[in-house]
Amino acid sequence: MTPRFWLLLPSRALMALLFAAPMVIVVAYSLLTRGAYGGQGEPWTWENYARLLDPLYGEIVLKSFWIAALSTALCLVLGFPLALFIARARSRKTLWLGLVTLPFWTSFLVRTYAWMFLLRDTGLINTILLGLGLIAEPLPLLYNDAAVVLGLVYGYLPFMVLPIYAVLERLDPWLLEAAEDLGAKPWQVVRRVVVPLAKPGMAAGSVLVFVPCLGAYLTPDLMGGGKSILIGNVIQNQFTTARDWPFGAALSIVLMAIVMALLWVALRKSRGAEGGLL
Amino acid sequence: MKRGLALYAAVAYAFLHLPLLILAAFSFNSSKYTVWEGLSLVWYRALWDDARLLESAWNSVLIGVLATIAATAAGTLAAYATWKRRARWLEGSLYLSLVTPEVVTGVSLLVFYQWVFRFLDVRLGLHTVVAAHIMFSLAYVVVVVMARLKTMDRSLEEAALDLGATEWQTFLRVTLPQLAPAIGTAALLVFAISFDDYVITSLVAGVDSETLPMVIYTMARKGVSPSVNAISTIITVSIGIMTLTAERWRRA
Amino acid sequence: MRRRDLFFLGLSSAAAACRKAARRLYVYNWSEYVAPETIPDFEKEFRAEVRYAEFESNEEMLAKVFTGNSGWDIVFPSNYFIPPLRENELLQVLDHARLPNLTNLALKTPPWDPRHEVSVPYMIGAAGILYNPKLMPEPASWASLWDERVRGRITMLDDPADTLGAALKKSDLSINTTREAELTRARDELIRQKPLVRAYLNAEARDQVMAGDLMAAHLWTTTAMQAIGEAEHLRFVYPREGYAEYCDNAVILRESRSVDLAHNFLNYLLRPEVAARIASHTKTATANEAAWRLLPSELKENQALYPQGETAARGEYFATLPASTQQLRDRVWTEVKAA
Repeated sequence: MTPRFWLLLPSRALMALLFAAPMVIVVAYSLLTRGAYGGQGEPWTWENYARLLDPLYGEIVLKSFWIAALSTALCLVLGFPLALFIARARSRKTLWLGLVTLPFWTSFLVRTYAWMFLLRDTGLINTILLGLGLIAEPLPLLYNDAAVVLGLVYGYLPFMVLPIYAVLERLDPWLLEAAEDLGAKPWQVVRRVVVPLAKPGMAAGSVLVFVPCLGAYLTPDLMGGGKSILIGNVIQNQFTTARDWPFGAALSIVLMAIVMALLWVALRKSRGAEGGLL
Repeated sequence: MKRGLALYAAVAYAFLHLPLLILAAFSFNSSKYTVWEGLSLVWYRALWDDARLLESAWNSVLIGVLATIAATAAGTLAAYATWKRRARWLEGSLYLSLVTPEVVTGVSLLVFYQWVFRFLDVRLGLHTVVAAHIMFSLAYVVVVVMARLKTMDRSLEEAALDLGATEWQTFLRVTLPQLAPAIGTAALLVFAISFDDYVITSLVAGVDSETLPMVIYTMARKGVSPSVNAISTIITVSIGIMTLTAERWRRA
Repeated sequence: MRRRDLFFLGLSSAAAACRKAARRLYVYNWSEYVAPETIPDFEKEFRAEVRYAEFESNEEMLAKVFTGNSGWDIVFPSNYFIPPLRENELLQVLDHARLPNLTNLALKTPPWDPRHEVSVPYMIGAAGILYNPKLMPEPASWASLWDERVRGRITMLDDPADTLGAALKKSDLSINTTREAELTRARDELIRQKPLVRAYLNAEARDQVMAGDLMAAHLWTTTAMQAIGEAEHLRFVYPREGYAEYCDNAVILRESRSVDLAHNFLNYLLRPEVAARIASHTKTATANEAAWRLLPSELKENQALYPQGETAARGEYFATLPASTQQLRDRVWTEVKAA
């Protein structure tokens, strides 16, 4: 057995057993019919996929894509400078990195509730603004799409910062000095030298943010007050209240297919010198 | 520009930590509600009585550590091997696992476990949760380490091989040290994801293996008890101290 | 403190062997559905250990139970899940000889299990309207929640069954209707109402009503009682068109390895003193009549928890619905949410 075989064995075994096998089950479910009381059974049918042709779901998918894309873009814009800062820090890099992931140590739910406390009608922000006389009535900061995006960006920012940092950290400071010596201003150096070199990290981060955002349902539920429904909510619904696992399975497969297609297209356009995942 | 960046970083960190600070502040609030009523340690004392909360926190840490070690190791090796030569099926499945909604991963694992358990006298428990966590973290490790590998200079490895080192020695002495920061980053990410996971864990956890997010979710849905704030603060501060000591130790 | 057993296959078997030695019962219940001393007292009296965990939704519990290998002995499904559980042979038939306290129940012949063959009614719940009388007049009809004056100051439950139920009741229809036309009508009502709704919330709305953010909230009795307990000016009302009810029942799972002990536990829960203690602690409506008689009068006569006469008659229990209807209702709910 070559060394390569051993290197790949743990991952292959894990994925085969805990991902591939269960996925086969999901595909099987998507072709079955909902049992009388939830659960699933014969007959085999395409009906679940047929149901997806309904424009209702198309709308929902589009909205989910929009929100996920917006959140990803914001994470990129907000996360890149932060990653740059950490990469260029002369000392205490672990500290800065640790601080980025520190929010994760508190439960996501509790953090979300903290935000809700801030944004509510009688929450901290409104109380301050009212107290300062800047507004007459409380601003409806919560229970809308903007709040959902805020929640998503807040939750997934570290996913963007870490991969970008991992790449920037390797950046040769001489490159930057050379650029400056040649007369480039700092802003130009960043734009023309740093950003292109950080592309793999940005691509990785974007995937790590976009995909979970697309399938998110806790954040839209809590921050959005359940008023709008995204594809993650619909899927989650099928496995819980609606108890229609076959339909949920079909939805999941279709969602995964769409995202895979998008990623494949993106991958082709930004093919690096070496292959591999992104 | 350095100053501009530093200023921006300060604002960004403030944004990231504002909810945490508020959480911590209200963990000292004697009132149960979001009305400030006075300083008090009553919620911290209540924690000691809440065996369920403490046990679940311990479970989360245990699961996190085990999952981190396993996923980081397996993922790093896989990323390295794949970087040298493509492994289509593995890459494809890793990709897919990233793209699968959490609830689908959780449900598929639940069904799979139950099917397997018909043949083994095993039930859902900590082990099923750890296995699930390792699986869904694997892709993240590969993505992060791979991103770093792609910026690495192959010629260093080639030089080492030319000079007579074995492949294994090359990996250990030449590549791994360069990858170390990325591996560290990946490990941090895995622990964070594992510790924070609710959806998948709640589906595959057994009767004796509740994790902190599960307990907090239950409590929070009814209106947060500040004990939740208290334990969150404790955990955050502990991890903060750990990170500081790690940094100090690294520089020593 | 429990020992931290490290896991992996080998130890699971060892643990299983150990489990057979001690008398242990695994109980999976809704959160806050027992009094603090209920479990410890049982453990002491019957010299057993109870492993007690809580869930938040039927589906969450069912996902584990439906596979037949969840590890639980006793669970508490809502009434409309009893028929499916029974059909899938997941329930243990109850031995009435071991449940002498069954006679204490108020629900003598519940529609979903008339002879208590597989289930023991535990708590009864319902959804109505919690409101702040300082901010609005009594919402005697569901239509009050469709009134322009409450715009942005009300919430509805984020539960298709209850909220569709409310819309159906507003139009004087049955909450268990299978007719597409009626469900479509309910959908249209909800879409009409949506701009007025601040959010679709469950228990989270409670704090907001208490804080004055909201004028009214569509809530379950338990949550409403908690709110009123802390903010006494609040009130709860069952609209005159009717309301949805459900009953949580204790069942023993067929996979249980401690059937005897499980029966002991159920019989214990049926004791009047025990059930009364639980009901006064949790402020939920017990299905145990003997216990109800032992309650202090402010609970006993609480019209929200124990509606009498005409109010009680307006309540309609959720029923198990056929698959096609459930699909329809799910689609309707999605349409409302996506609107």
